[in-house]
Amino acid sequence: MIPFVAVVSLRNQDSRTFRLWIPLFLVWLLLLPVVILLSPFIFIACLMCRVSPFRGVTVVWQIFNALTDSQVEVEHRSAGMSFHIL
Amino acid sequence: MNEHRRQILQMLSEGKISADEAERLISAFEEPAAAKSPENGSKGATARPKYLRVQVDSEDDGGHDGPTRVNVRVPMQLLRAGVKLAYLIPAAALQKANLAMHEKGIPVDLTQIKPENLEDLVEQLSDLSVDVDQKDANTKVKVRVFCE
Repeated sequence: MIPFVAVVSLRNQDSRTFRLWIPLFLVWLLLLPVVILLSPFIFIACLMCRVSPFRGVTVVWQIFNALTDSQVEVEHRSAGMSFHIL
Repeated sequence: MNEHRRQILQMLSEGKISADEAERLISAFEEPAAAKSPENGSKGATARPKYLRVQVDSEDDGGHDGPTRVNVRVPMQLLRAGVKLAYLIPAAALQKANLAMHEKGIPVDLTQIKPENLEDLVEQLSDLSVDVDQKDANTKVKVRVFCE
């Protein structure tokens, strides 16, 4: 399943944590019409590069699916940041 | 009934060994067999790792400003999907990359590397563990890469 939410946590020097929930499903919904509009151009570009467009779509879809559970954390005494895709 | 158990019971019936000794012998023969069965312990060894983790701990200027810790968790599924991008590299691009690498003195033919090979490579990452420990006068960096 493609990720629906990303959580960004920011911590400042006073140990105050600011957490931001990013609804990725809205991003996907916004991107969908763009992808549909661009799909003929993507298809032609794939054919020009002799790459199967169906295989390309499959790989990109698998990468989107696999993004779930990715996590990046950076911690320092004065600040911290964490990015988690759910 | 296996051969060992039959022999032990025969020795017991002939009075060569006592009941306690027979029990101990039977359990001694059963223990290695139980250890080999998949329900006992070997399950964890064959479990596929789910994440590739990269941890970096660094301290600058003797650690006065506190350590900086970076922790990155990448799903193995993402690596598997990522290597499939190799399917999408056009042959002309591979030729160009080959030429550039040969110019740099790296004799690798990228056209010979198949996506299946890369998938095998990702599978073998489960045994990977990299530990780098660097200490200078002003910096102390520790990097760990492992699968979990």
